[in-house]
Amino acid sequence: MTNWVLACDTAEIDEEDLIRFDHEDKTYAIYNTDNGFFATAGYCTHEVQHLEDGLVIGNVIECPLHQGRFEISSGKALSAPVCEDLVTFPVKVEGDQVYIQIV
Amino acid sequence: MSDYQATNAASSGISVPKKNLKALMRRSDKPGLIWLAQWAAFLLITGYGVYLSIGTVWHWPAMFLYGIFLTVPSYALSHECAHGSAFRTRGLNEALLWISSVLYYEEPNHRRFAHARHHTYTWIEGKDAQMPFATPMNFKGWLLEITGWALYVYETRLFIRNALGKFDAEVLDYTPASELGKLKWGARICLAIYAALIGMAAVGIMWPLWFIIIPRLLGAPVMLLFTLIQHVEMQENDVNICKSTRSFSSNWLGRFLYMNMNFHIEHHLYPMVPFHQLESLNAEIKDQIPQPDPGFIRTNLEVLQVVWRRSMGGSTQAASIRQAPHMINTPEVQEMS
Repeated sequence: MTNWVLACDTAEIDEEDLIRFDHEDKTYAIYNTDNGFFATAGYCTHEVQHLEDGLVIGNVIECPLHQGRFEISSGKALSAPVCEDLVTFPVKVEGDQVYIQIV
Repeated sequence: MSDYQATNAASSGISVPKKNLKALMRRSDKPGLIWLAQWAAFLLITGYGVYLSIGTVWHWPAMFLYGIFLTVPSYALSHECAHGSAFRTRGLNEALLWISSVLYYEEPNHRRFAHARHHTYTWIEGKDAQMPFATPMNFKGWLLEITGWALYVYETRLFIRNALGKFDAEVLDYTPASELGKLKWGARICLAIYAALIGMAAVGIMWPLWFIIIPRLLGAPVMLLFTLIQHVEMQENDVNICKSTRSFSSNWLGRFLYMNMNFHIEHHLYPMVPFHQLESLNAEIKDQIPQPDPGFIRTNLEVLQVVWRRSMGGSTQAASIRQAPHMINTPEVQEMS
């Protein structure tokens, strides 16, 4: 079963940035990039660090603790110390609101 | 790992407005390339001194001076490149991570993963992968640390075990399984390089001995005095980095040699901020963090006094540097009371 969940207003995320979104017992990262809005799991796959304070560079998110990088749109791990991909979630924007699809 | 909390700015109660932090985090090649050119110039000048002094009484002092400029920046650059923040260009980071780590005597992939763990769990006993010395430290521990003996024993054993694919439990704990092959081959390549350098010296080709091996050994104590004061005498098992870590004042030479890592609390709070922005980061958060301890020499002298007096059963109260409360022992006061 899937459902769309309201995550935030578009204005809540600065351009080339991300915010943290907690829903039920899960944590997500919602991104605003040049290519649109995206969503991934909120924690780095390497070690206990939320990506919230990470650096968005184009389509890349850099983890704030160890500087491992992921491709935002695909979640693909790009550089050590991260080796495991991020889970991504479909996103849609309706009006000025961002929704993510959660399985 | 959910039973542990990562050591970072949030766990230390420090915050920076996000826009300011993002500005400080921006990568650039220029400062790193300028630093690299300055390093090369120092090596050329001091290396020329080594060349001129061969066969004279000045040869060993010249190798010591050159060794400081070889060893301390090697350590600092390896550290910064392991963070991926020395340069914007990833290839530059990776290439210089290899070169500097080989000079520093640590396999580059191991360097990256062990140091990542050090940041995740800064001086949490049993979790921090880079705090080898026992605490509170005594004079024997200090001597083993600053001569480099502890480092050489630890790294040599690690090189051999990793090259054989017989990884220690702690290595398996902090290294993703998919990266173990890189550790193994990295260790083999490093050992081959070291064997080649020693082999050249053994057959009479002396430049590796005069310009790499002996200067690296002579420069090690200075490098290790820099690294020692980052955490020694501070609090273990506390997620507050301001309690576990020390920043210290430094002149321009110390800041250059150590790539601004005298701002060490700042670095641990926000490890994604590159070396050339640490002074600006300090300006941003100096009201939230402790004042830096005195400079490199003064802080090291006080540490030496403390560990000596600890070994002799005397008071371990330092004159001015920060210490965790349980590091301070004042036996004469206890006797009076």
